[in-house]
Amino acid sequence: MTAANNPGRERILERIRAGLRTAVAAPAEAASDAMIFETIANPVERFQEEAKANLIDCLMTSDSAGSAQQLAQVLNSLPPGEIFVQDAPAVRRLIERSRSQRPVRWSSQGGPPEASQATITLVEALIAQTGSILVSAACGGRGASVVAPCHIAYATRDQLVPDLETALGNASRQGILENNSFACVISGSSRTADIEKILVQGAHGPRRLVVIVESS
Amino acid sequence: MSTAAQRFLRDSAEKSADLVHREIIRKNMESYDAGHLKGRDRFKDWEAARRRCQEIKREAVNHLDQYLLQFEENVIARGGHVFWAEDSEQACAYICELAQRHGVKTVVKSKSMVTEEIELAPALGKLGIKVWETDLGEYIVQLRHEPPYHIVTPAMHLNRGQIRDLFREQLGEDVPDADPQKLVALARRKLRQAFFAAEMGISGANFIVADSGAVAISTNEGNGRLSTSLPRVHVAVTGIEKVIPRLTDLATLWPVLATSGTGQPVTTYGTLLGGPRRAGEADGPEEFHVVLVDNGRSRLLANAEEREVLHCIRCGACLNICPVYRHIGGHSYGTIYPGPIGSVLTPHLRGSEFAHLSSASSLCGACTSVCPVRIDLHHHLLHNRRDFASAGQTKWRERMMFKMWRAAMARPRLYAMGGELMRCSLRVLYALGLGGSVFDPMRVWRRGRAPVPLPKESFRSLWKKEAKS
Repeated sequence: MTAANNPGRERILERIRAGLRTAVAAPAEAASDAMIFETIANPVERFQEEAKANLIDCLMTSDSAGSAQQLAQVLNSLPPGEIFVQDAPAVRRLIERSRSQRPVRWSSQGGPPEASQATITLVEALIAQTGSILVSAACGGRGASVVAPCHIAYATRDQLVPDLETALGNASRQGILENNSFACVISGSSRTADIEKILVQGAHGPRRLVVIVESS
Repeated sequence: MSTAAQRFLRDSAEKSADLVHREIIRKNMESYDAGHLKGRDRFKDWEAARRRCQEIKREAVNHLDQYLLQFEENVIARGGHVFWAEDSEQACAYICELAQRHGVKTVVKSKSMVTEEIELAPALGKLGIKVWETDLGEYIVQLRHEPPYHIVTPAMHLNRGQIRDLFREQLGEDVPDADPQKLVALARRKLRQAFFAAEMGISGANFIVADSGAVAISTNEGNGRLSTSLPRVHVAVTGIEKVIPRLTDLATLWPVLATSGTGQPVTTYGTLLGGPRRAGEADGPEEFHVVLVDNGRSRLLANAEEREVLHCIRCGACLNICPVYRHIGGHSYGTIYPGPIGSVLTPHLRGSEFAHLSSASSLCGACTSVCPVRIDLHHHLLHNRRDFASAGQTKWRERMMFKMWRAAMARPRLYAMGGELMRCSLRVLYALGLGGSVFDPMRVWRRGRAPVPLPKESFRSLWKKEAKS
């Protein structure tokens, strides 16, 4: 947008600068260095607790065989139909080991179709403080974590970080937003309480979020 | 008295007497109160979190030009577009032109108070573009042709039976038992078609992040995700005051916003959008536009006393705790932003026609006590009252009454005599059966309430007796 077709830009900036010439007094109580959140002693335990509170199915596995077995069980519990899968070597191996017979549409072929029964993606990080997963566009695209009724996220335990501060700090340092047009901290399935504050899952996005966390 | 003020008095009297409405709000607020308190307990130090958020917003607003320019630079570097709109007209014109250029017929919109403020949906509607509100609460009030009732829960004023009836009339489908699960499923089915058909998605922004050029949106339903993922054009519309310096600031702002808004630890989706779809990405919009709306905000910035009003993160906590809001509800205010924050902000954004809102408060200070960014809301209501009175926007009679009051307050004996005279006069008046008549100074109070019994003795004489004993 050039200055010629957005003349309001300079006028707004002028008004802001003129307004800011009047200094304001500092607040009576300045921000302290007090701890805002509790220190997380056991991130794995905390992640599991918070994930449960967020109504996430958190499946801890010790190896890739265990992960494939868990994935197969989840897929067997879903109605028949195509699944959308992030096209990444680790997920291809997982799908192969699960021996799923479902038709697969890979993220390299485009976004997830509306009729997908489930999506399977990797994550950028797991966040213990809030029981969340961090995904980016690299994790199968934007729709991969929101279009289907079930989202299955596949992670390893070394992706676990203690809190949001660490997750967002790492995202900044690793250039996740520089390299992707999208990132999202997901803390459960899609939900609403807009009717009489009664919680209903699956408002517009997944009714179910499954996170498979492998030990290594 | 202005028309807006007359409407306010009429609507608030009507709503506060509507017992069904009050029961719905009471239930909602009880549920919110419990969640909010539980959410606060999850913090080691809630007050420290509030101070941190205040500091973040203070830094951002007091360096607004620098952070907005940094944000703009980062958005443009990633292939996005930024438009600065001085007012609603410019913002709507830009988005309408964009929609026409892309041949847009359908727009899906996630919840955004700024788009309500600039009246974007009617502007697009005039061009024959169908706009779908996709947040469930917004969808419900859109079907009722109503503005949102609350900043966070737009359909808080309706119960499941009313929503069932609305869906039956407007969508032609019945949910006989009014089960919320089935009502939500029905809305999901209808809106899914819109998500996949829309050419343009419009969102607001809870925050815009200067150091990463990202728009941060907090949603629970996932409608914000779908609106910004599926259509080929995404437009984020936001006030200029929403900028924050750093991505890591969200580590405090996100949990505090969620706790204050709904009592959740964090909202389900904390989405960061930093441009159009990149090469190699599976999906996402081909174009990404951010519309930065001023609409009176820079004027408020120049008011050093009230500048901190721009720190507001629109969590709705001040509405939820306000005894006035809890009785008169969101629509009575006749403004986009209701409750204490709306009463402070609206006269600045929309002029003196809304000066009366500064008096729509008991000045109890509850709003200030819960504000997650520590805005001194009740004092700002007083500042507004003072400013409007100083500007001569009061009646001659009111000014005289206050002069007399001030004179009496400065002379204790005169005040005591006045009090005694008033008590005697009222006793005679009530003995003559003229209570509630035109001669009764308490007649307005008595219109909707039981008469207050006259005390036998004044507070002054009771105080003296107490001191002697």
